[in-house]
Amino acid sequence: MNEMDAIKDAEERGRTDLWPFWRKAYAQGDPLPAFSSSGPRAQFSFDEGDPLPEEYKGLLLRMLRHEGERAGNKSFLGLMAMCLDLAETLYPGRETKLLKSEYVAEELKHAIMFHRLAVGLERDFALRDVPYAHYSFHLPRETWADDAYFHFFVDLNGAFHSRDWRESSYLPLRQMAATVERDEVGHSEMGYYFLRQICAEARGKELARRLLAKWYPAALDMFGRSDSPNVPKFIHWGLKTVGNAEIRELYKGYVDRKIEALGFDVPDERKNRRFL
Amino acid sequence: MRSRWYTREVGLHKWRRAVSWGMDMSAIVEEIREAYAGVGITLDQPATFGTYYRLLCTGCGRMVGNVGDKLLPGMAAAIVNEQRDMYVSGLLGCPCGHQRERARTGNAGEQA
Repeated sequence: MNEMDAIKDAEERGRTDLWPFWRKAYAQGDPLPAFSSSGPRAQFSFDEGDPLPEEYKGLLLRMLRHEGERAGNKSFLGLMAMCLDLAETLYPGRETKLLKSEYVAEELKHAIMFHRLAVGLERDFALRDVPYAHYSFHLPRETWADDAYFHFFVDLNGAFHSRDWRESSYLPLRQMAATVERDEVGHSEMGYYFLRQICAEARGKELARRLLAKWYPAALDMFGRSDSPNVPKFIHWGLKTVGNAEIRELYKGYVDRKIEALGFDVPDERKNRRFL
Repeated sequence: MRSRWYTREVGLHKWRRAVSWGMDMSAIVEEIREAYAGVGITLDQPATFGTYYRLLCTGCGRMVGNVGDKLLPGMAAAIVNEQRDMYVSGLLGCPCGHQRERARTGNAGEQA
């Protein structure tokens, strides 16, 4: 049994009626919207060990710095430790704490996968500490509902980017994209499951309604500025297929439907936004 | 004193930017500390590699949440102000009631 088979076996033994959440999401068809690129597809394709054009490698490393789920990234491990702190302290019961531990285990699996990718790309990058730069990773989480929103919104952002990587010109990234996408959809669904539990009683629903105003603008801001000058370069090299505005719009359509299903009005998309 | 080698190889502008970035981070942490002090929450020491901090109830020491140090300028105060009535109503805050009392009296500037 190779190391990834051992991980897969461990994962399968952890399955319950709920976990992993992606099973139910994908059982009803593809949960994510289709991405349609506006221009012709890039024709580049690079595998591990291939000489990479300087600009291409720089953009790829930039993308991976933002992604962050890497075993050698201390800041990622710090984020996971913080997640465990929250689960221990703020989560309401054994079931939710166990789900959170499954989440951390799955993120650590990603950390191994991205570690291998990093080593294959540039060995020095494997141990580089890259704190998450976007403020959404730093918003205060003072309740279980805050943490539920973090998963619903922020992990879903990862799922949307992973969907785009399915077409990546960097083959090692393309090969792992479907697994990461599936898992991140599951993490988002875990957050949504928590939100539905929280909203089942009036006080929890009021709390979630209020906190939505904090998390919604951060979620939309995560996709960056619509006029980012780097996006055409990413698309040119086949590292992305769609621009920030397009992927944000698709994401917004997805989360808005789920927000309404919780019984909330969708917040004004321009209110408290920092990156339009 | 910084060597000529350092200035030439690393670039003075990069060094200045790094220094300025570090100062920004500590300024943000101070903003967070000050904002939460006003509702009876103490910002603890960094919990993990200097990025994330526990939020502790100033009344009883219980952990009531956590926060990272890369909020944007002004964001911590805005969030705490927006949440003030939630501390008053008990939607947020420690079960011991300390934040409810602090937010209700609106006495800013509490020190840990």
